Amino acid sequence: MAITFVVFKVFGTLEGPTRMGVFWIIMVFISINLVGYSFSLVSDRRRLNYYQLYDPVEFLIAKLLANIFKLIVAGILLIGLFMLFSAQGLKNAWLFTQIYLLASFGLVGVLTFISSIAVYSSNQMSMVTILSLPLLIPVMMIGMRVSLVSERMFFDTSTGNSLLMLFGIDLLMVVLSVLFISFTWKP
Amino acid sequence: MKLAWWKLLAIPMMLYVILAGTLIPLKPGIYTYSPTRITAYEDEAIKIQGYNTHFEAGETKVWVKLVNDRMVPAHRVNVISETDLVAHFKFTKDFVREDPAFADATLIVDTPTDGYSIAPNLRLKASDVPNRFGVFMDTYPLTRLTQVDDFRLPFRQILHETIRNTFFHVAIWMAMFLLLLVSCYHSIQYLRKGDLVADRKSASLTSVGLFFGIAGLLTGSMWAKYTWGTFWTNDIKLNMSAIAMLIYFAYWLLRNSISDIDSRARTSSVYNLFAFASLMILVMVIPRFSDSLHPGNGGNPAFAGEDLDNTLRAVFYPAIIAYTLFGFWMAQLHNRYLDLLYKYND
Repeated sequence: MAITFVVFKVFGTLEGPTRMGVFWIIMVFISINLVGYSFSLVSDRRRLNYYQLYDPVEFLIAKLLANIFKLIVAGILLIGLFMLFSAQGLKNAWLFTQIYLLASFGLVGVLTFISSIAVYSSNQMSMVTILSLPLLIPVMMIGMRVSLVSERMFFDTSTGNSLLMLFGIDLLMVVLSVLFISFTWKP
Repeated sequence: MKLAWWKLLAIPMMLYVILAGTLIPLKPGIYTYSPTRITAYEDEAIKIQGYNTHFEAGETKVWVKLVNDRMVPAHRVNVISETDLVAHFKFTKDFVREDPAFADATLIVDTPTDGYSIAPNLRLKASDVPNRFGVFMDTYPLTRLTQVDDFRLPFRQILHETIRNTFFHVAIWMAMFLLLLVSCYHSIQYLRKGDLVADRKSASLTSVGLFFGIAGLLTGSMWAKYTWGTFWTNDIKLNMSAIAMLIYFAYWLLRNSISDIDSRARTSSVYNLFAFASLMILVMVIPRFSDSLHPGNGGNPAFAGEDLDNTLRAVFYPAIIAYTLFGFWMAQLHNRYLDLLYKYND
């Protein structure tokens, strides 16, 4: 939230493509902080306890759901602030909601998985950023594109395709994480 | 130590690719011509500069081919040198009567030694002046042009000599995909059996794959400089492959940041599979959704039919095999180094 104040102080007011660009960049950093460290900010003993108690797949799905909830709430707050400061609503709210939800799933899918991987590296904090940012770029690019369409910056007839592709990427990320979590999740 | 036949095969193939790829000359073609826009009724002199051509006075014929397949012959051809000539045309307004704006035409030069060469994008302006010259216009079938079959690389507009980069840039990318695919196979093997040998194999293959990826980006960048004008364009495929390389850099960093051997092997195997899936999405899927300057995207021709002619094929396919074999060889050497490191650290 503080960064939103800073952003609006710097830019004065935000419109169109800049608004969406800044929104998604802040979303990425929020998600790295909220989701990216969800595995690493747990003490070793507690991790061992979880390991004994739960099946890794169940644990991962629970983490995914919790992270999606957290990120969506944070994102709604962020959108609210953006609309408040730039004093204009969303031009195509339904399309924006679709892309916002799908991109959030993508962010959570990638970052939860990366978080579960980065636990073992010696410098977890920087590793999460290094590993996840390139994987997040496709999600972000599609998110940017469609949200610009939702802002009526330009017209695009293949928005449905983009949404479908983003859904495919989300699904792939979740399926891969579920498949691999039992290999990576060892105390 | 047993002799590896594929290494013996790799050396002559690589030599063949480098020698054939750099030494086979290009077929003759029209390099430039001027003017490119002409008004149709005047006595027009088109100056043509050829590449690798042997223009001969009296033997060389020049035509302008119109949209409706009629060919206007040059009434006088003035050969200056083997690569320069001036062709004089008298156009009539008849052929562009349907379309009064600029009409597309093609310039054709035919010589007995070189065969025919074609240059597109000649723009003709129709004129209202009546046909004063009464030039004979012929529907000259393309089959009557001189065909010369020789083992030379095709001459393509814009590409010119850089067409040779097909054997390096494209072949290196293909080899990279194969190496990374095999690396994924070894990662899966490790995850199934827990054998550290498989993990080390996959690590070596990924390193060599990353090296090939960088080489592919560099050769592609040079190619872009000579055909698209800059070293780096905003082309979607360029950016996506750069991101894919970043993902593999991250793999390499991840591998070096974990000290425990087992968790390093587990984590990097899983991330390797993840990275390959992302590579496929980035390079194969996303560029399909937007235009790209690359062949095969946005209506550009790709390796189909006429574009990859037999001479190109004769070098291109061996090039892919040669690079792949060399990649495996490099990976094997790197793998031996990793094995020694592992034994030493034990």
